[in-house]
Amino acid sequence: MPADPEFEKLVKLYYRDLYRFGLSLTGSEADACDLTQETFYVWANKRDQIKNPAKVKSWLFTTLHRQFLQTRRHRARFKHEPIDDASQDLPHVATDCVDRVDAQTLLTLLAQLDENHRAPLVLYYLEDLSYNEIAETLAVPLGTVQSRIGRAKIKLLQLLNETNAAK
Amino acid sequence: MTTKEAKEKLLLYRGSIDDSDPQFRALLEYAKGDPELGRWLQEQTECYDTIRAKLRGIEAPPGLPERIVHRRPIPFPRDWWRLVQLAAAILICATVTALLMKWSERRYRLVAGAQEILVTGEVLDMTCYIASNLSGPNHAECARICIRKGSPAGIKAQDGKVYLLAGEPGQSINTELAEYAAQVVTIKGKRSVRDGFAQLQVEEIRKF
Repeated sequence: MPADPEFEKLVKLYYRDLYRFGLSLTGSEADACDLTQETFYVWANKRDQIKNPAKVKSWLFTTLHRQFLQTRRHRARFKHEPIDDASQDLPHVATDCVDRVDAQTLLTLLAQLDENHRAPLVLYYLEDLSYNEIAETLAVPLGTVQSRIGRAKIKLLQLLNETNAAK
Repeated sequence: MTTKEAKEKLLLYRGSIDDSDPQFRALLEYAKGDPELGRWLQEQTECYDTIRAKLRGIEAPPGLPERIVHRRPIPFPRDWWRLVQLAAAILICATVTALLMKWSERRYRLVAGAQEILVTGEVLDMTCYIASNLSGPNHAECARICIRKGSPAGIKAQDGKVYLLAGEPGQSINTELAEYAAQVVTIKGKRSVRDGFAQLQVEEIRKF
C-alpha cells in the first residue's frame, strides 16, 4: 500500500487524544481502539469534504462521538441513568481523595454516568476546548452542554465520595 | 448573588482554560472578596487538575498508531466529474459494441441469405482461368471439355467480378454450362458469398 504522509501525520498527532476520549466513553480498551481506528478511516474517506482543515481535531472528536452513539444504539448495552435535578447540593471532594483514585477507577465511575452527560464531561476534563467548541463537537446547544457538564460533574464527585467512603 | 449561586456557576470553571471566558470574569472577581468561596474554588480547580492529569495519563496501547496506518483504507477519489466521464465512456463503449454486433448480424444475414441477380459475362473453366488465366475464344474448346468432365465452371461479369456457377444442391449443371463455354451469356441465379468467394446458383441461362 502506498505511503500516505498526511494520514500518518494526523494519526500520530491525535491518536492519543482520541483513544482517551474513546476509552472514557466506552470503558473498554478494545472498543476505544476500534473507535479511534474507525474515526481515522472515516477521515481518510471524507478528507476532501472537510470544509475547514483548521478544525480537523474537532471534526475527529465529533466523528468519534457519532461512531460511539451509533455503536451504542446497536448494542443498547448500557441502561439509561438520568441524573437528578441540578439543584442538588454540591458535594465537597478533597483533592487528596481524588489523588487516591486511579485512572481505571475513574473510568469505571465515568461509565456509570449517562452517556449524554459522559461525553461532554470527558471533553471538559481531557481537552482544552472552550464550551462553545465542546458544544460544536457534540452538536448540542451551548446551554445544554454546560448543564450536562455541571450535572455530570456533581454525579462524578458524588461517586468519588462514595468510592472513598467504601475504602 | 449568594455564595451557593456563585459555586453552582463556578463549578464549571477549569482554571487557565476558562480565564478568557467572559461568563466567569465577574464570578472570579466576586470570589476574591469571599474567602470561603475562594478556598472552595481553589479546591475545585485542584480537583479538576488532578482528575484531568489522571485521565490524560492514560496511554494508548503500544502499536495502535502503526496498526491504524497499516490497515488504513485506500481513499476512493470522489471526483464526480471523472465519474461522469467514466460513465459516459462506458455508455459509448456499450453503444458502439451493440451497434457493431447488430451490423455484424446484418452482414452475416446478407452473406448467408441468397440474393437473386442477373449476371452477364463469359462462362469460364475455373481451373484453367485461376491457374493460367486462360479464357476467351482461343480457350473455348479446352474449357468445354474441362467443364463437361466436371471441372468447376464460372462466369466473369462485365464489371470483372467472377462467380462460381453451381446447380441445385446435389445436382451438377456442368453439362448445360459446357455448351456455353467461353461464350457471353446472361445467367439468372441466386448469389451468395462466403469468406470472400461469390457463387451463383444457376436458375436460368440466356444466350447473349
